[in-house]
Amino acid sequence: MTDLDAVLEVRDVAVHFAARGGLFGGTPAPVKAVDGIDLTIGAGETLGLVGESGCGKSTLSNAIVGLVPPTSGSIRVRGHEVAGASRAALHALRRNVQMIFQDPVLSLDPRSTVGAAIAEPLAVRGVARGRVLKDKVDALLAQVGLEAEHAGRYPHQFSGGQRQRIVIARALALEPALVVCDEPVSALDVSVRAQILNLLVDLQRRMGVSYLFVSHDLAVVRHIADRVAVMYLGRIVEQAPRDVFFAATKHPYARALMSAVPEADPVAQRAKRRTILSGELPSPSNAPPGCAFHTRCPLATDVCSRERPRLTPRPDGALVACHHA
Amino acid sequence: MSARAMTARRPVRRHVRRVAVSIVIVGLILALILGLALLAPWIAPADPTRQVLMMRLKPPGTLAANGQLYLLGTDDLGRDLLSRILFGAQVSLAVATLSVLVSTLVGVALGMIAAWLRGWVEVAIMRLVDIMLSIPAVLLAVLTVAVLGPGFFKLILVLGLTRWPRYTRVAYGQTLQVANLPYIKASELAGAGSARILLRHVLPNIAGPLLIIVTAEFGLMILFEAGLSFLGLGIQPPAPSWGSIMSVGRQYVERAWWIVAFPGGCLFLLVFSVNVMGDWLRDRLDPRFRAR
Repeated sequence: MTDLDAVLEVRDVAVHFAARGGLFGGTPAPVKAVDGIDLTIGAGETLGLVGESGCGKSTLSNAIVGLVPPTSGSIRVRGHEVAGASRAALHALRRNVQMIFQDPVLSLDPRSTVGAAIAEPLAVRGVARGRVLKDKVDALLAQVGLEAEHAGRYPHQFSGGQRQRIVIARALALEPALVVCDEPVSALDVSVRAQILNLLVDLQRRMGVSYLFVSHDLAVVRHIADRVAVMYLGRIVEQAPRDVFFAATKHPYARALMSAVPEADPVAQRAKRRTILSGELPSPSNAPPGCAFHTRCPLATDVCSRERPRLTPRPDGALVACHHA
Repeated sequence: MSARAMTARRPVRRHVRRVAVSIVIVGLILALILGLALLAPWIAPADPTRQVLMMRLKPPGTLAANGQLYLLGTDDLGRDLLSRILFGAQVSLAVATLSVLVSTLVGVALGMIAAWLRGWVEVAIMRLVDIMLSIPAVLLAVLTVAVLGPGFFKLILVLGLTRWPRYTRVAYGQTLQVANLPYIKASELAGAGSARILLRHVLPNIAGPLLIIVTAEFGLMILFEAGLSFLGLGIQPPAPSWGSIMSVGRQYVERAWWIVAFPGGCLFLLVFSVNVMGDWLRDRLDPRFRAR
């Protein structure tokens, strides 16, 4: 089962949040934010994780970096178990897993200088001190395209794109094997998005770091990911190599997502058949039985409400969880 | 050192140039009050506790037969008001500063711990705060003094330990807000421990609102000391404090306005200056308001 090359192995991970009981007793059903997920990311690989808001992407990311304990299942980073790890073990593990957050404004402490922010992981772990530390910080700044003199400035003196560069430098300071990128470009201007994406790709080539790239933007995922996984209500419904995924999307939910991406060519855009989903995302505390998607699925039949489809391999390398696709 | 080496501030001169006139004035007032209080033993014209019953309730500027000038008049027992105000400043400043220090340390620490640890610690601390706030502070102080007995350090302890819940409430709310921000998570991921995160990342970011309470409480503490001294639970007569001078002067306000007016004016200047200074300091501490 254990793949030695894998940087990240997620096996049947669930994260349930217990809802608080009411005044008059009765324990409400737990919120199943993540409900049985398998993922593997190899060295130097980028997995794009796609899904609408509320599907559990962020919860899964937080569980992988150890900020949220999983209810069950196993999360291994370079073979070391994250789930249920002690504080000391987590501390050691986090050398290998770092995270880039969505909002570059809130990702940096407004009261500490950029240099101090980037130096923190190195200083706290005693990796470097004094002169060596300063040189390392300068090198990290250079790596993300900033100047050494920027170290003494405060975050508010930088633009959004520059701040995200600082966040990236901090995340890479410990040379982690895996960086979880939680929507790293969705808060940025379109004009700087490409710069940041290219920087991430460039750093991956140089350092061999793997990314779990969480996004709701399929265009961005297409640009950066080697493989794509689509999440719906805490589960993965389709997983495929990028080219396979974008050539032939199979799961009806993934297809609906794809059809929502606007086409640059107006003729093609008008000719496109859009699948518009009706209804809302069901509550994760009360997921529909069987296939969670059957309440909104155009292909749904009786079997969908009774049996949960398993992720099954397709001839072209995709894994799809659907009775009909 | 390590990380701190990189937080080096820019040269001080650049900051000084931008200081507003009001801050300079307020700073001078504070320095003057502090200086006069410290120099009281040398500059006071008379012994603050020496009573001359012949010279009771004399107005400011009275010249005594023995050639002594009562610049600010005398009180109900014929003591020199100027001397009493100078010596009283020592007591009032010390009581206010130390009790604010005690309540800030206790209150902020408890508030941050409650918000950081959550769970039963949070419930215990915050319910204790509710209980403390529901008991009138004066009653609590009276009870404590009744048990411990009066005295300078006991007074500070009483004031410090009855006033902390206000700081706790604010520190708690602010910490809750900050604790969920990505930069705190990032520090956790960086490997920073709770103590480092709370002191290096949470505290500087909640310092602004706390500073407001500190400056407001500073003035209140002088008045509280006055109230307790008036009840005979604080500074024991004949030792002067601004509060005790004023509470005695209150009885004579129709015949001798100066007994209340002069220490009252000093108190006003002090509290006002501390407040203005506090506001300025809060902005100064925030890098976003500094020169770009």
